[in-house]
Amino acid sequence: MEDKEKRPIPVMELKGVTKEYCLRDSFFSRGSTCVIAMNNVNLAIQKGEIFGLVGQSGSGKTTTGRLMVKLENPSKGVIKLNGEPLSNIQGKALKSYRSKVQMIFQDPYQSLNPHLSISETILEPLIVNKIGDAHSREQKVINTLDIVGLAPAREYYNRYPHQLSGGQRQRVAIARAIVLDPEFIVADEPTSMLDATIAIQLFKLLKQIRKKYNMAFLFITHNLAAAKYLCDRIAVIHNGVIVETGSTNVVIRYPQHPYTKKLIETHPGFNF
Amino acid sequence: MSQNQHIERFQKGWKIFIKNPLGKTGVTLLLIFMLMAIASFFIPLIDPMYDPMTGIDPLIKTSTGPSMQHFLGTDNVGRDLFAQLMEGAKIAFIVGLSSAFISIVMGTVIGMISGYAGGMTDIILMRMADIIMIMPSLVILLILASLFGQFNIWIIVFIIAIMRWPAVSRIIRSQTLSLKSRPFIEASRVAGASNIRIIFRHIMPNVLPLAFLYMTFRVTSAILVEAALSFLGFGDPSQVSWGMMLQWVWKSGYMFQAPYWMIPPGLCISLLTLSFYMLGRAMDEVLDPRLRKEEEER
Repeated sequence: MEDKEKRPIPVMELKGVTKEYCLRDSFFSRGSTCVIAMNNVNLAIQKGEIFGLVGQSGSGKTTTGRLMVKLENPSKGVIKLNGEPLSNIQGKALKSYRSKVQMIFQDPYQSLNPHLSISETILEPLIVNKIGDAHSREQKVINTLDIVGLAPAREYYNRYPHQLSGGQRQRVAIARAIVLDPEFIVADEPTSMLDATIAIQLFKLLKQIRKKYNMAFLFITHNLAAAKYLCDRIAVIHNGVIVETGSTNVVIRYPQHPYTKKLIETHPGFNF
Repeated sequence: MSQNQHIERFQKGWKIFIKNPLGKTGVTLLLIFMLMAIASFFIPLIDPMYDPMTGIDPLIKTSTGPSMQHFLGTDNVGRDLFAQLMEGAKIAFIVGLSSAFISIVMGTVIGMISGYAGGMTDIILMRMADIIMIMPSLVILLILASLFGQFNIWIIVFIIAIMRWPAVSRIIRSQTLSLKSRPFIEASRVAGASNIRIIFRHIMPNVLPLAFLYMTFRVTSAILVEAALSFLGFGDPSQVSWGMMLQWVWKSGYMFQAPYWMIPPGLCISLLTLSFYMLGRAMDEVLDPRLRKEEEER
């Protein structure tokens, strides 16, 4: 308990979070079958930290991310942002929460509206949160495009998603996530649809952004190598339960849990 | 630049559209009818005698066949049939397009709300749509007309529109359901966008092409309903329409004596509805995603 007082308040904290998806058996029967996606998950992510959540598909890692950005609500447990619990926040409180917690989605081909230009896509968070006026918003979008490496920004400003490559689209998605200067970003397998060289570029970009703004990231991945490259600490999740948490090097070098060991074995050429 | 984008996309679509034989025929027919509708504004200016409603040839007391003075002949009180036919084209466009437009707007908005909101709202709106969908619109119109007397043309337009939105809203709803779970909608929610903004900014542009496609089919049905209503004698008596012309030829007893009077309006109704139908089918091909993909790869 002493330990807790010494540490700063985490940006994002999950306490005993459980998420169940229930389906009614049939129209007439009362019973229902529930799938537990997350079972009593505890996580604390510190400011400026890149925290990896590693697990195979169906392990509940995406659900964790969706709960953090409030696309879904937990069945049990508390989510805290900067130490403040949010249970059923609505209206203004929800909006200010939204501006502090953003998300980068997995598939850059699906996460951009094909009918909106790049500038319209990145402007949207600024417009709905009523930040600045038309001129300052435009400036902000151009700055953000520069930061994510879409330069010269003017050239990309009026383009449409179908004119960009997958890597460029994902940079646009990153720009949309950071344009509000959030404190915490959930990156849900942002590179799983892209090839390795582009993935490395994006990892470097995420590191740069972290350094520049001191944002915290939850990096969701099934790729241990990516987690090792990018993350300060990782948690391994299996069937909705966090089986191991710790600093990345320690977990990968000295895995304690049998599942973690198995996961590391399945990565051939993963030598230390 | 974004303007160029739209133009480019439109040109691409137009190319597919005009290559389609149905599209070609439909557009040609439609252009002819448009010219007729435009001509209807000028014909009475030539000579008041040619006014489709009030212009009576003083020399003619009974229905006469085609002549140099009257290309299609006259009706039984000496009104010019050619002028009436042009006027009928104008009315058909007004009725068809405006009622299709109203029903598309209603259908799209209700469909998007129903699909996006889900739950109770969805159930209530869709059951309402079901109820209206199974009602026979012509019979309802006939009952209303016999209860309240003859309707103004705009009331007829509006009632047809009200009867015809449910099919559109069902289509738009199902499209909305598939869009709703797409990541770009969720991304917008994470950014803090309101539901109204998501519906109109993100969902609407994606369902509009489909709505326009359905608009062409709605035009067809609106024209047919109006024609049937007029022929049965429940149309707007102060307006010349093709259905009205058929009603007059029937009522005045010239049905089988004056083919020059009976055939043109009937033919026009068939051809105009056919042209909208063909337009819709050709547009269907443009909007078919499989075909569009093929076009993009080239």
